[in-house]
Amino acid sequence: MTQFTLNGRPVEVDRPTDELLLLVIRDALGLKGTKYGCGAAMCGACTVHVDGAPEFSCQLAVGDIEGAEVTTIEGLSEDGTHPLQKAWIDQQVPQCGYCQSGQIMRAAALLSENPEPSRTEIANYMSANLCRCGTYNRIFKAVEQAALEV
Amino acid sequence: MTAQILRPNLSRRTLLKGGAGLVFVLGVGGLSAVEVNAQDATLDVNQWLTISPNGAITIVFPSTEMGQSSYSTLPQMLAEELDADWNDVVIAQLNEDDRAFGNPIFGGVLYTAGSTAVQGYYDPMRRAGAQVRDVLLQIAAQQLGVAKDSLRTETSTVIAEDGTRLSYGALAATGLDGVQIPDAEAVTLKDPQSFRIIGQDIPRRDVPAKSTGKAEYAIDVELDNMAHAVVLRTPVEGETPTAVDDAEARTVEGVIDIVTLPDGVSVVAETLWAALGARDLLQVEWSTTSPARNFNSETTLASYAEAVRDPEADVAVWAEKGDATSAIKNADSTVSHLYLSDYAYHAQIEPMAAVASVDPDGLGVEVWAGTQTQSWTTHTIMETLGTTQDRIRLHMMTMGGSFGRRTAFVQDYVRDAVLSSRAVGRPVKVTWTREDDVKNGTFRPAAAQQLEAGLTTDGQLTGWHHKVATPTVIGFFNPGRWEIVKPNDVISMRGAESKFYDIADFRADHIITERQARLAPYRGIGAAYTSFAAEAFMDELAEAAGRDPLEFRLDLVRDNQRGQYLLEKVADMSGWQDRGDRALGLSFAGYSSSMAAGVAEIEVDDSSGEILVTHIWAAVDAGRIVSPDNAHNQIEGGIVFGLSSALSERIDIEKGEVVQSNFYDYEIVRADRVPPIDIHIASVDAPPTGVGEVGTPMVSSAIANAFYAARGQRLRHMPFTRDRVRSVLQS
Repeated sequence: MTQFTLNGRPVEVDRPTDELLLLVIRDALGLKGTKYGCGAAMCGACTVHVDGAPEFSCQLAVGDIEGAEVTTIEGLSEDGTHPLQKAWIDQQVPQCGYCQSGQIMRAAALLSENPEPSRTEIANYMSANLCRCGTYNRIFKAVEQAALEV
Repeated sequence: MTAQILRPNLSRRTLLKGGAGLVFVLGVGGLSAVEVNAQDATLDVNQWLTISPNGAITIVFPSTEMGQSSYSTLPQMLAEELDADWNDVVIAQLNEDDRAFGNPIFGGVLYTAGSTAVQGYYDPMRRAGAQVRDVLLQIAAQQLGVAKDSLRTETSTVIAEDGTRLSYGALAATGLDGVQIPDAEAVTLKDPQSFRIIGQDIPRRDVPAKSTGKAEYAIDVELDNMAHAVVLRTPVEGETPTAVDDAEARTVEGVIDIVTLPDGVSVVAETLWAALGARDLLQVEWSTTSPARNFNSETTLASYAEAVRDPEADVAVWAEKGDATSAIKNADSTVSHLYLSDYAYHAQIEPMAAVASVDPDGLGVEVWAGTQTQSWTTHTIMETLGTTQDRIRLHMMTMGGSFGRRTAFVQDYVRDAVLSSRAVGRPVKVTWTREDDVKNGTFRPAAAQQLEAGLTTDGQLTGWHHKVATPTVIGFFNPGRWEIVKPNDVISMRGAESKFYDIADFRADHIITERQARLAPYRGIGAAYTSFAAEAFMDELAEAAGRDPLEFRLDLVRDNQRGQYLLEKVADMSGWQDRGDRALGLSFAGYSSSMAAGVAEIEVDDSSGEILVTHIWAAVDAGRIVSPDNAHNQIEGGIVFGLSSALSERIDIEKGEVVQSNFYDYEIVRADRVPPIDIHIASVDAPPTGVGEVGTPMVSSAIANAFYAARGQRLRHMPFTRDRVRSVLQS
């Protein structure tokens, strides 16, 4: 039994403690916005916040986050109106969209660390996450737009 | 009241819709039936759309969505001619292999590939909308007692001369006696000048869900009582499990069953985690007789290079004009070079996944899958269960990228979900890991290309011969199709026709080599490598002729004014004429009938061998643009894809096994290596020709040509990995 906070609510899961946080979020807790892409910390589709820091949820065992606060894309805002989400829509960033939850969670972590990042800082920080559709330049613009609001 | 006006080719779809208010059946040949039922007030206007009394207009989306935004763009084309309010439009995914909705470009097969969706549906979907608009005008004219010609429409409303307004929804609830269905070919389409939807930046429908984690992909499908499966696949193509020791795997808590498949072993468990754990404990012996065990990418490419230089090799002529051989023979000088390219992997971020729920009788099934074709997914399921199409309930899910990955005639991941579900009598989701996806990938083929051309003493091109040694891709991923089209393989050869240039004496040959890997279409298909070779070679010719690469190309597009415009435009955008010490490389290629001129600016780190692309400019002509902002996004995505495959993407095969495993050894480009990309899209009055792939083919040659500008040496083997760049610099 592992207890932690997910998107502001206490949860308790009865899963093997070595099961990946990613799979617990998706399959035990039913939040599908966090994606599996590589299982190897290489693509960032699974990015969530653990105690405010961006983490690859494919690299964490659920037992390791006992008591932690986990935020997923579903918890970033109640109604999808986080400045980053609004900027993502304004800039029409997504194509296939599969990586974008992870991109937005990574970007949210960037803006909380660095509210006014330069283009280079954005590019460097966002390099943890892959986008095969090639939306990187739109991601940069959306992060810059959101930074004006945060 | 029910009346039917029947014409030939009545679709079974019409017959299924008993409650319809008004049904027009529009096949490729045009409208064929109307059915009226005033008791049910829904106006079910032809197979393509339904209008509800509340004003909702539901339009069928016949393709599948993988990021290209056809989901929004195709219904927009119909809505334009219907004069619908886009906000009234509800989009309905086509979830069956109903060839009445097929793409005319693919002979009616439901197949989303080759940048053809807008191109193929531009005419039929607009005509469908125009026909329905005409019928709505007729109904309104009857109601108002005025001439149809006196009415006009705007945003889901018919407006009379006296200002009376009748909403489409209200008209949908009305009887239809006396309505004449206009002929599909005779219907009047709008003057593009009056377009309100086509050509406008209307936000994509799927973007909000994709910005909030709510978009549902096949890998996200969750059903009651659903089990999870992972498949241990044969390490080498063509082998089969001969002995399975699953005793230890079965001890893992949650394991439901272990199912032997023709080319793998499926571990079915209550959770994905349990299935993954149990798979690690399987002991499987595989057969060892497959010829694929001899596949070795290094020797494969060497053998292709040998074949392309063998004057005795059998060739299939891909494109020919004039007499290239004589022109080259009679030229004042000749230039010839060999270009190589390795296998490349799609690297879509959603790995293969599918959910199947087989009925108790083993013949019916509901399937959730993301694929590029309703037709071949249906075929796969029918073959797997030995069943008929009417027993299949399909859900075409939006895909987490595809780029050609999910086009095959036989879809093994769908098959495995169906077989696993049948075995355990429960719904089963099959998920591939990234390693499964790489190791069992289907690749852009390796290719060796020899180009030879002649020059006159005054620096003009005379005679062009492009030879491509690569296997047939169609022969592998759709063998039945190959029997029809061979020896012409557009997937392997596209781009080698160099059709945007006017070269009087031209020839492109396909040397169809032995396949030594699993193959598939890939973004840009053949042009992803044929345009690399052709446009890198073009630069070498210009240099041999002592001429500027832009001027040399401009000579060859005198009869292609739209192409000439693109070259001049991109030169202007990039400051080509005043480039000074900047290392710029020019290319002019495209995809199908869409053209792209590009310039790459690079820097080279000599010690690491890294090429840093610092800027890309592109001028693109893709005919009329239906959705400009999305077109920009697609073209830019295609350029980034081309950049990535040019610099780092490479699959190796040793003893039949794929060497790479994941994104740590198959590198795709990351945010910090993506340059500013400036794109100009030409405004032209011509039919749309597709934007999904046009950006890709010119990128690798633009980079190679920029490398020559930077270092005076040629890159003739793609990708231009750091080790290759270092070795070129040291040579």
